Amino acid sequence: MQPYYFSFRSIYPYLGDLAAAAEVTLLLSLLAIVLSVAIGSGIALMRRSNSRLLRFFAGLYVEVMRNTPLLVILYIVYFALPQLGLRLSSFNAALIGLTLNSAGYMAEIIRAGLVAVPSGQFEAAFSQGFTRVQLYRHIILPQVFRTIYAPLGNQFIAVILASSLASAVAVEEVASWMQTVGSSSFRFFETFIIAAVVYLVLCQIVNLGRIAIGRWLFRQPEAYR
Amino acid sequence: MTDTVLQFDNVVKRFGDRTILDGVSTSVQSGEIVCFIGPSGTGKSTLLRCVNGLETIEGGAIRFEGTPVQAKQRSIIDVRRRIGMIFQHFNLYPHLTALENVMLAPVIVHGENRKTVEERARGLFEKVRLSHRINAYPAQMSGGEQQRVAIARALATNPHILLFDEPTSALDPETVGEVLAVMRDLAVEGRTMLVVTHEIRFAADVGTRMVFLDGGKIVEEGNPREMLAAPRSERARRFLSTISNAAH
Repeated sequence: MQPYYFSFRSIYPYLGDLAAAAEVTLLLSLLAIVLSVAIGSGIALMRRSNSRLLRFFAGLYVEVMRNTPLLVILYIVYFALPQLGLRLSSFNAALIGLTLNSAGYMAEIIRAGLVAVPSGQFEAAFSQGFTRVQLYRHIILPQVFRTIYAPLGNQFIAVILASSLASAVAVEEVASWMQTVGSSSFRFFETFIIAAVVYLVLCQIVNLGRIAIGRWLFRQPEAYR
Repeated sequence: MTDTVLQFDNVVKRFGDRTILDGVSTSVQSGEIVCFIGPSGTGKSTLLRCVNGLETIEGGAIRFEGTPVQAKQRSIIDVRRRIGMIFQHFNLYPHLTALENVMLAPVIVHGENRKTVEERARGLFEKVRLSHRINAYPAQMSGGEQQRVAIARALATNPHILLFDEPTSALDPETVGEVLAVMRDLAVEGRTMLVVTHEIRFAADVGTRMVFLDGGKIVEEGNPREMLAAPRSERARRFLSTISNAAH
């Protein structure tokens, strides 16, 4: 092996771009997280529907999204859809692909949370005359999100890391910064290490944010289980 | 003159090929406290759960205040809004405080004003002797306390009838008394109550009628004291002697 002399100094000129790129990564990830939780909730509820058809399509969706590479989905959205006349910006294409993919995983996490709610909760609510919508809104989903709050955090982080694939559809986020700066400065170690650190920090920020929001949402102390 | 609140006409309930209720007919008048007793697995709880459509029935009919109870129809919501149910395992909403548990249905289902509801809820906590536990979560309360909150929750919507499904069966012996005491108070108020219970003494003291079920059928019904003193059927006699032996 040859010796290697680190020179983070040579990356300085690119740091302004990095800040902008980190912002794009964060925005893309947060939007994908919020949207995929919403869509995932819908899919999870469909998987417990009385309608066989809804259950089938929800199950199909989850299996397709969990068993195809995100990169392929991104390519379809960004490169293939324009052939049907649907032209999306890099950012929007990446957001859609990332959201669709993540929603498959979110749906499974949320479904696990739904299964964990005891049937007595449904009976108590039905006995009081709650409609299905009121029941889920006020009784079931609040309990589900408490149960799944920690596993949800894993998926949040997975989304942030997966957003690095957006560089493949020309989104100027952190991974694309890394590739550009790496190949133009030939400082591969430095750029890659910096990129890794940026992802680590972003994941930590989102995770700490999640925990803080959880404390506020679920103000209850030790009591809940 | 009394009004018929609830009418069972030849009610049949099956789970698969097992017949749980095999032609049950009886009626409940306003102000009655009907206690259902009988060996476990004879359909007492199932009968109760058919009243508010938690179970569907395969045959016969149930009418609540003149409306047919149809578990699968939208009209069931309207029936349920007028019925309060208390469960063996309380089934309080664990993410809400005791007060919020009591207030949820009046606010969400009945669309009542939050302030009015809270005032009424506080009154109910006084009635069930839990004013000091108003902000506790279910997990922080004993079984007896939880069941009393559940009673307050059922009362909060001003139900026309209360269904008690083995309300003391999951409780420690020392907390059974506090729940029964609250139920006695309700009886004194003249509430219409259907109670599935193994508390024979409660049934005798508080009940206005006792119904003995066995094998999905009503075997015998009548005045609780008379029935306890001299059951007419052999099956009721055998059941009651087992129970009273266990109690002594």
